Amino acid sequence: MVMGKFLAKLGGGSPVQASDLTPEEISELMDGELDTERVEHACHALREVASMEAWIYYHVIGDTLRGCSGLAPGFAERFSARLGSEPTMLAPPPPRTAPAAVAWALAASAAAVSLVGWVALSMWSDMSPLPTAVATVQQATEVRAADARRPVENEYLLAHQQYSPTTAIQGVRPTLRAASAEEQDVRR
Amino acid sequence: MCAADVMAQAARQARVRVGSCVVVTAAALLLTRSALGCAPAGTSADPQAAEWLQRAAQAARSLNYSGTLVYRHNGREETTRVLHLADSSGEHEKLINLDGEAREVVRNNDQIRCYYPDAKVIRLESRASRNAFPSLMQQQRNTLAQYYNFNKAETERIAGLETQAYIFQPKDGLRYGHKLWADVATGLLVKAQLLNERGFPLEQFQFSDLQIGAKIDREMVRPTFTPPPADWQMVPGDTAPQDTGWQVKDLPPGFTKLVEGYRTLRGKPKKVAHLVYSDGLVAVSVFVEDMPEAPQPIGLSQQGGVNVYSRQLSDHLVTVLGETPSATVRQIAYSVAHR
Repeated sequence: MVMGKFLAKLGGGSPVQASDLTPEEISELMDGELDTERVEHACHALREVASMEAWIYYHVIGDTLRGCSGLAPGFAERFSARLGSEPTMLAPPPPRTAPAAVAWALAASAAAVSLVGWVALSMWSDMSPLPTAVATVQQATEVRAADARRPVENEYLLAHQQYSPTTAIQGVRPTLRAASAEEQDVRR
Repeated sequence: MCAADVMAQAARQARVRVGSCVVVTAAALLLTRSALGCAPAGTSADPQAAEWLQRAAQAARSLNYSGTLVYRHNGREETTRVLHLADSSGEHEKLINLDGEAREVVRNNDQIRCYYPDAKVIRLESRASRNAFPSLMQQQRNTLAQYYNFNKAETERIAGLETQAYIFQPKDGLRYGHKLWADVATGLLVKAQLLNERGFPLEQFQFSDLQIGAKIDREMVRPTFTPPPADWQMVPGDTAPQDTGWQVKDLPPGFTKLVEGYRTLRGKPKKVAHLVYSDGLVAVSVFVEDMPEAPQPIGLSQQGGVNVYSRQLSDHLVTVLGETPSATVRQIAYSVAHR
């Protein structure tokens, strides 16, 4: 999570200058390095259009630099539509278990909640276990982050297995993969 | 200007950035391939790998065996009882999982039935991949040699049997490695691992005990639930071959289309387009359906050695999955287009 610091060094090169938040503050917020008081100030500032733009840009740049971006086309349209029908939510106290917990607390604010699935998923890189940040977000929002990631869709997996060449060399054994995933779904 | 408009604008710009990032990644992969001299052109077929696979497939089909199979992935372990009978009427196989919820898979030749007693569901599948092995198409034989190095590894005693390990080492970053242990006497696979880029096992199948040539009669491989209770649901699951109008424009090198058609999926109101691509060793499935009303998981997820990537494409949901690195399913997901 040093991406924020790196971006802050870009300084004037960032696409949008926040009116109330400095690039350093946004970076520290992303990295979970702001103290509680300044987080409150930052969250207030993020209600400003320019600050929110900068916040989004920083995440997009960070994701792009990390080479993992899961933004789906049509996101903007869906986001606008959903934001319009979004009820106001009160932020629960931010859990401090993960380094990014403070930053994630922002997710509980109404404006940011739809970004959660996107940001969280884009961080879910190959081979790494489920990041704590995702779990934290789910606890904090309990809204739709839970929908944003699930165990593999079993229907797809089962349909896929019968065409996999490994099925032919190993008999029906790879079917176990799907059976195993199904079990996880049931337990969920 | 309301906040939603600003967000929407930012998101639109973000999409442009994301798009170019994908292109850059793909280009970088191609460059790496060329730089390492792994370009596939002109490489001749490696009959050794293909013949070895055919022997393993033939052994799995023709032998009688019973054993206990342990499937290990993501720090979890699942144990399954396996029975296989080959007689004059063909092949009969039964798998019963020994931990957790009862599950049973029964195969009679190409027909597979999966029993889920807790859900009261029977899934019917036909094994459509039978053409892949052992009558391995020439193209697949070439692909294997072009994109994997096939090397003999160590000998090891597993489940009381002398085995010889072989490794399929991918020549590019778009495939995983495969390490397979076969019984020296019969060629039957006793252990299989899927290896990531760093050679770390993502998942493993291994017999903890195995009796080859065991005495197995038909009764032992019949479904436990015969006839199934009347209130159980039968779910058919075959892909009917048909032109779907969908295609993958930027297919990773070495992958060719095996199947294209429509199929029903449990919980989906309409039929789903299903396209399958293979490099001879693994397959990647592409599913395209109307965008469901309910929020969908978008992005990357993983199950054992299978990576899944989902994205929205105008009014459609595209889901790509396969036993490949995440980069491969992502690349395919972003190059799905309507013809």
